[in-house]
Amino acid sequence: MTKFLAVGAILAASLAAPQMAAAQSETVKQIEERGTLLCSGHNGSYFGFVEVNDNNEWKGLDIDLCRALTTAILGDPDKNQIVPLSWAQRFPALQSGDVDLIIKATGWTMGRDTEQGLQFSLPYFFGGAQLMAHGDLGVTEAAELAGGTICVEAGTTIERLVANYLQTENIEHSMVSYESAAELRSAYLANRCDAFAAWGPFLAVLRATEIDNPDAHVILGDQLSAEPIAAAMRQGDEAFVDVVNWMLAALLIAEEEGITSANVDEMAATPPNPRVARLLGAEPGMGERLGMRDSWAREMIAAVGNFGEIYDRNLGKDSPYKLERGLNNLWSHGGVLYAPILD
Amino acid sequence: MAVAEIIPPSRFEALGKLFMKRGFGSPVSVAISVLVFAVLGWIAWSFLDWAVFRAVWRKENVENCGHGGACWAVIDARHRLILFGTYPFDQHWRSTLAALAIVVTVVLSCVPAMWAARRLAVLWIAGFASYYLLMEGSLLGLQQVTTDGWGGLSLTLFLFAAVVLLGMPMGLGLALMRRSQMPVVKWFAVIIIDTIRSLPLVTTLFTAAIVVPLFLPSWLDGDKIWRVIFGFALFFACYQAEVFRGGFQAIPRGQFEAGKALGLGYWSILGRIVLPQVFRHALPSTINMVVVTFKETAIVTIIGFFDILASGKTAFGTADWAPYYIEVYLCVAAIYWVFIFSLGQYGEYLKGRMALAER
Repeated sequence: MTKFLAVGAILAASLAAPQMAAAQSETVKQIEERGTLLCSGHNGSYFGFVEVNDNNEWKGLDIDLCRALTTAILGDPDKNQIVPLSWAQRFPALQSGDVDLIIKATGWTMGRDTEQGLQFSLPYFFGGAQLMAHGDLGVTEAAELAGGTICVEAGTTIERLVANYLQTENIEHSMVSYESAAELRSAYLANRCDAFAAWGPFLAVLRATEIDNPDAHVILGDQLSAEPIAAAMRQGDEAFVDVVNWMLAALLIAEEEGITSANVDEMAATPPNPRVARLLGAEPGMGERLGMRDSWAREMIAAVGNFGEIYDRNLGKDSPYKLERGLNNLWSHGGVLYAPILD
Repeated sequence: MAVAEIIPPSRFEALGKLFMKRGFGSPVSVAISVLVFAVLGWIAWSFLDWAVFRAVWRKENVENCGHGGACWAVIDARHRLILFGTYPFDQHWRSTLAALAIVVTVVLSCVPAMWAARRLAVLWIAGFASYYLLMEGSLLGLQQVTTDGWGGLSLTLFLFAAVVLLGMPMGLGLALMRRSQMPVVKWFAVIIIDTIRSLPLVTTLFTAAIVVPLFLPSWLDGDKIWRVIFGFALFFACYQAEVFRGGFQAIPRGQFEAGKALGLGYWSILGRIVLPQVFRHALPSTINMVVVTFKETAIVTIIGFFDILASGKTAFGTADWAPYYIEVYLCVAAIYWVFIFSLGQYGEYLKGRMALAER
């Protein structure tokens, strides 16, 4: 029955849209009534994004974003419940209400956006094909691989991307494709290839976990493609999308302004500029327009840190994977992440 | 019978002689035997060398891992994850007790003294209720843990026991319906059995977990785990019904007629004459079904349950432990082996016991 009511409410809401500027999101209302946020986990482990630590607690980039959203809405990072989901199960589980949103290394595609009835947040991660090379070659970018052998997995999109990229850049090379990822890996380790191409985070994981001497391998700076990873939500609750977008935006603004989990209280007490004052709730405006508390961003940053801290802890320099920020840096540091304007 | 004739009173001596005669009777046999034993010995030695002599056992010594020996440190560090999934760390005693309750329930159900409908009913209700109360916790005033947090070995055991104990009576019911003289009842059973049997288990579970809540009203949804157990039990029941049908077909019609001639009713004929024989005929295939079901519980990982295999995969799913997946898989395999081997041995015992009836 509640489902039909919800559908009815959504229909009514869409008819009444113009007057609804500051109305609270249905999903947020449900989360508040329930007292927990239902996030997507994984039926296993997805390195760097969703893992389980030695104390049987979830961790990872996606889990930290869930904790951030939990703090923003409910004021406590632990008031979430991670529902383990398989890849195939995630969208049906979202539609049937088993989770409130999906933050699970999910790419933003047209099919998902339209046919599957989802809506996506701002992208929070860009993953794409990259190259890894033996460190003793002394290369740092693809152009220096001229004349070398590059290995790829046969029949993947990566294969096409690499061929395109190297041709466009006019880099002489010979390409060898292998049937399976395992063959590819052993061929690379046996020095049969100078470099090997795969999804960037996958290369970082491989380097950190299955190669005896991680320092002897370099992930090259060239980004051959960039697939946006974003949070997915059910269609029809625009106010919830706003909440998630501003959660991500607040994490990015905090990084731009140098607000960390350590100095957030200090910054809130003596804000260096009006933007920080507004972000941390020293000046009103941050909460009311989303139907939340003015202090939500401050509490969130105190609990999980800014975006850079989250990235470094799970994928970057403080994690075993040591994946460079690259595209996933702020626009001001050569990346493509940016926050909307906080007015 | 042939073996009994060859083996005189001292069996070991006789076996030794037989072994010498078969293995070292001629120069060719000697050569083959020596070669085979050398290869076997070498394999056994390499395995022991890897698994025991050069192994690293404690998680404190993990930096010694990766030098040709097994790294059991991963089990030392992550065994709780393998056994309990993402169940809250400080509540693991509850998960342990709950798993024990299930094991005790299953073991007791296997004891012939318990084989009476009322005793079994009481036992199962008590067993499953204590599992649920301990795992969920809120009714006992403990910290509540919803079914999303259940996992590891305790979840695998629970799924297995629930599916078999629910599915067995359902299977018997379906088998009886299929033999019914009433066309509606009969065709209903035929359609159910043949439909479910022509669908893969994954589809059935996916439907139960994800598709059903899309059209059921939300007050009827229940928790995902109950829907999955019901779907899985239905799947088990449909196969088990066919196993029972085989048992029924082995019984001559004359026995029913003789029972009727003596003035016994349907249930008396069934309970006192037919079913005991059906169970005996169906036993070998039933044990097969039960063993297969234990292994099939691993499929629930597809719909996001943390069974022991999924939690094993998670155990090596961090950068620190990723290289030691072989150790984790071996450990999980050993756990499966203990349970399935015991089930198989129990089956042998039952066969021996039922063979008494044939004498």
